[in-house]
Amino acid sequence: MSLLSNSTKRGSVLIVGGGIGGMQAALDLADSGFKVHMVQRDPSIGGTMVMLDKTFPTGDCAMCMISPKMVEAGRHLNIDVHTLAEVISVEGDAGDFRVKVKVAPRFVDADKCTGCGDCEVKCPKKVPSNFDQKLGQRKAIYSLFPQAVPNTRAIDSSQCICLNDPDKKRCRLCEKACKAGAINYEDKGKEIELNVGSIILSPGLELYDARVRQELGLGRWQNVVSSIQFERILSASGPYKGVVQRPSDQKHPVKVAWIQCVGSRDNRNANPWCSSVCCMYATKQSIIAKEHDKNIEPTIFFMEMRAFGKDFDKYVERAKNEYGVRYQRAMVSAIREEPGTGNLFMKYAAEDGSLMTEKFDMVVLSVGFQPHCDAEAFAKTFGIETTPYLFPKTSPFAPVRTSREGVFVTGIYQGPKDIPETVMQGSSVAGSVMALLAEARGTETIEKELPPEKDVAGEAPRIGVFVCHCGTNISSTVNIDEVVAAVKDQPGVTYVTNTIYACAQDNQDMIKQTIKEQNLNRVVIASCTPRTHEKLFQETIREAGLNKYLFDLADIREQCSWCHKGQNEVATKKAIGIVKMSVAKSRLQEPLKSETVGVTPECLIIGGGIAGMTAALSLADQGFPVHIVEKDSELGGLVKGVYRTLEGLDVQEFLKDRIEAVKEHPGITVHTGAEVKQTDGFVGNFKTLLTDGSAVEHGAVILATGGIEYQPTEYLYGQSPNVLTQRQLEKRIAEGENPKAGERYIMVQCVGSREEPNQYCSRVCCQDAVKNAIAVKQLNPEAEVMIIYRDIRTYGLREDFYKQARDLGVIFIRYDVDRKPEVAQSGNKVTVRTWDYMLNRELSLEADWLVLSTGLRPHPTTDQVGAMYKVTRNPDGYFLEAHVKLRPVDFPSEGLFVAGLGHAPKNIDETVTQALAASGRAGVVLSHKRLAVSGIIAKHKRELCMSCLSCLRVCPFGSPYIAEDGKISHNEIKCMGCGICAGICPAKAFQVNNFRDDQILAMIDAAVESEPGVLN
Amino acid sequence: MADVAEAAEQILVSTVEAPHDTPADWTPNVLAFACHYCAFAAADLAGVMRLSYSPSVKIIRLPCTGKLDHIHILSAFEKGVDGVFAAG
Repeated sequence: MSLLSNSTKRGSVLIVGGGIGGMQAALDLADSGFKVHMVQRDPSIGGTMVMLDKTFPTGDCAMCMISPKMVEAGRHLNIDVHTLAEVISVEGDAGDFRVKVKVAPRFVDADKCTGCGDCEVKCPKKVPSNFDQKLGQRKAIYSLFPQAVPNTRAIDSSQCICLNDPDKKRCRLCEKACKAGAINYEDKGKEIELNVGSIILSPGLELYDARVRQELGLGRWQNVVSSIQFERILSASGPYKGVVQRPSDQKHPVKVAWIQCVGSRDNRNANPWCSSVCCMYATKQSIIAKEHDKNIEPTIFFMEMRAFGKDFDKYVERAKNEYGVRYQRAMVSAIREEPGTGNLFMKYAAEDGSLMTEKFDMVVLSVGFQPHCDAEAFAKTFGIETTPYLFPKTSPFAPVRTSREGVFVTGIYQGPKDIPETVMQGSSVAGSVMALLAEARGTETIEKELPPEKDVAGEAPRIGVFVCHCGTNISSTVNIDEVVAAVKDQPGVTYVTNTIYACAQDNQDMIKQTIKEQNLNRVVIASCTPRTHEKLFQETIREAGLNKYLFDLADIREQCSWCHKGQNEVATKKAIGIVKMSVAKSRLQEPLKSETVGVTPECLIIGGGIAGMTAALSLADQGFPVHIVEKDSELGGLVKGVYRTLEGLDVQEFLKDRIEAVKEHPGITVHTGAEVKQTDGFVGNFKTLLTDGSAVEHGAVILATGGIEYQPTEYLYGQSPNVLTQRQLEKRIAEGENPKAGERYIMVQCVGSREEPNQYCSRVCCQDAVKNAIAVKQLNPEAEVMIIYRDIRTYGLREDFYKQARDLGVIFIRYDVDRKPEVAQSGNKVTVRTWDYMLNRELSLEADWLVLSTGLRPHPTTDQVGAMYKVTRNPDGYFLEAHVKLRPVDFPSEGLFVAGLGHAPKNIDETVTQALAASGRAGVVLSHKRLAVSGIIAKHKRELCMSCLSCLRVCPFGSPYIAEDGKISHNEIKCMGCGICAGICPAKAFQVNNFRDDQILAMIDAAVESEPGVLN
Repeated sequence: MADVAEAAEQILVSTVEAPHDTPADWTPNVLAFACHYCAFAAADLAGVMRLSYSPSVKIIRLPCTGKLDHIHILSAFEKGVDGVFAAG
């Protein structure tokens, strides 16, 4: 909370960096009443994720996921995207910063450019594409990638022929090609000043330049590529169109090797930290490569397999067992090319110590992340402190806060992390800013004023069709005049015209004018894809007073002219068919009402641990009353048994502070010793009855049910007085029972984790072991500590502590799951027998203390709470989020959010991050007085319904329900319009607005009419 | 019993049309049903990348392939399309 008075706080936010983390923060903030300025160095937003082909562990296409988000951010009324821009100075304080931004010249006027790309076709200058990692080429006028946002090309001034001519007379071909007159060689760029309440830094990281490791041959041997190059090789839109081939000779490689930790976990000429994502992306790349070409034989050379995230271990197991990926534990010392063949010889030490030489067709170096080369200057510009590694300084208890109040960080800049954690942190930083600027919410956002809607119900269709040339993009392949002539006589069509660029501002005005003059009540535009342009045109017709659902977009560019180039006659025929199909659908369109529902601006949080309390404080600071329901008699949760973080911070002190803050906050009501008894409702309007008798009405729910520690039954736990858990050891240390000289502590990792039936990593135990080992050694260097482990997973910046433990003399001995240590009591000590892979022999060790690193489990109530809120859980019992990558704190049903151990095992800083994210996401819902429901939803006709319950079973959102009369009813507020109910309903009682069966059948008729099949 | 089976088979044979001959230059007229979020997006990407396929393929966009109904497929065949492609 700030000491500043209300009047000085600005309701706007600057976000520096438009990757997936920055975008998530921008969308959350802009959707909840804050004006967002996004500053991005590149000519497009998108960041690192847009370069990736697929994502682990689900294999989802990265671009398919991020592209809709980019379009949304690019089009948002309250997000201003400044590309090719950098912040040069920041003045002021939290609540009121003054920021100067330098915008480099783009040489293309974004207001005039339609994104058609004619200029790029004509540009004669080809240069290596940095986006394709120099494996492909681009032009001097270019867009970073096909789905770039903004879709305005930029001229690379260092490469452009005209700009490098002193008189600017040469070439100018793009200027001639641009029918919109958008090219401006005189562009000088500009400097703008912004006044914002808060600043979010999400500049991302850069990749380690593996050419430094000369022995690995990147840049020297052509068939050695970096992992990001391989990502582009795999990408269907990459330089090789998704065909896995060698750069040297385009041959399909068979034996492909990945080398892990290139540039990471290495103090010499590289970075000491772990980059967190490389183990998983190498696994993913090897799987995807195999899916592209089944002959590929992948081998991953690794030091430690760090599959610590949710379902990651299962993914690695699948890679091994289903795809035959070979995991070889070894460090590769050198790579040599075989002269003439381009094949590569690799030298490494096998597990038994013997020196191996193996031949591969291609080698991928798994490169890590590092702060941008200008990270020091960047931090200075924003006045924030950094760590010696030049990451921003943050605390595990406040992971998104920097040393300067009002300046926050998010994404991999804060520390290496994967996409879901980045997205989570994006929402988390949004939640933090919402709390900081609560009273300024809604002061700087704008809303569009719209004319009243014309009532066209019952009128005969008067369809206007606008056929777009898109410069020459459509018209060079499709004969526009023929299309216009062919649809003129279609029933219901009263007006047809063509337009050079339907999306250009002047033509938008023309369309609005025409709607009025011709008294049109339906509009069809034949141009590009609805995925990027439908919303724009819907807004246009709405501004002319038409209901926005009286619109259809016929895609004759992406799905016609662009893929049938040179086949003008058949392409024109197809375009006519596509437009006729749209007209047939349009004829049957009805104006749709977008319902709105009121929102109770309160939140219920189930679970009073760190996650629940953090989310509660953030939401209460945002001004929303919060109820915490805690099953135990006191707040605190699992963290009550934790004393120190890995970094050495006092957890109990932090917990005490949080509990006090929660108790003192006037906006928070705590119900201890209580559980949820009954709940009902939907987003914005939940009613929940608690076992303490209170009834809570709330607009959102956060499930922070937490976890428990596994109670071991193995390794003599509970039988021998010498056997402890890490938590018990931590308690002994905290209570001052110091280790004695000569005492030997042996720690065993993965107790109750990474084995069926609990085939997952509990994430915290490696760090607990390292933390306690350091504590023992620091308290008494004469005490001995040995850690028997499978893989030490001190990921990210935690790697430092692993190194510290080794430096303090902690001994690490690896074991395999099929050769687990054996423990026996011998007198007042225990004997541990384990195989040592370094010595290749069995060791028998005596221990005074055997310390078990036990795993985590979801809280037993997860099951019951999940059933009550109809949310699913994964096979391990953890809540399953709406989308593993891009919606890590949401559930498929709106208004429900998840935080903490109930979602998956995680550390305190990660729990705090997710809790703040849940508060950010809930804040978006609660900040609306009313929530709009889309018009594209399923409509249920009760008179046709037989209540067979098919819909009830298949609906992913729980919108059909059994009403009081025992028959099915449909809650349209919950409906997302997927239409699965309509597909399955035998009585056809469900129809999806604008995708009704009669509309689809009419489209089929129109399609066949324009192109009969063989039977006709 | 054998008679019954024979009769049933005859009825079946008489109701199932013999396959039509296809002309030598025949390109099938295909109707695709595509999910807005994936397959439709993939078709867009094919265009962006200028990948070519038969122009006799036309696409009907659905909010989700789960919306696809038997009636759409049957009706398409009844009206005479040569193939239906459902992708999502």
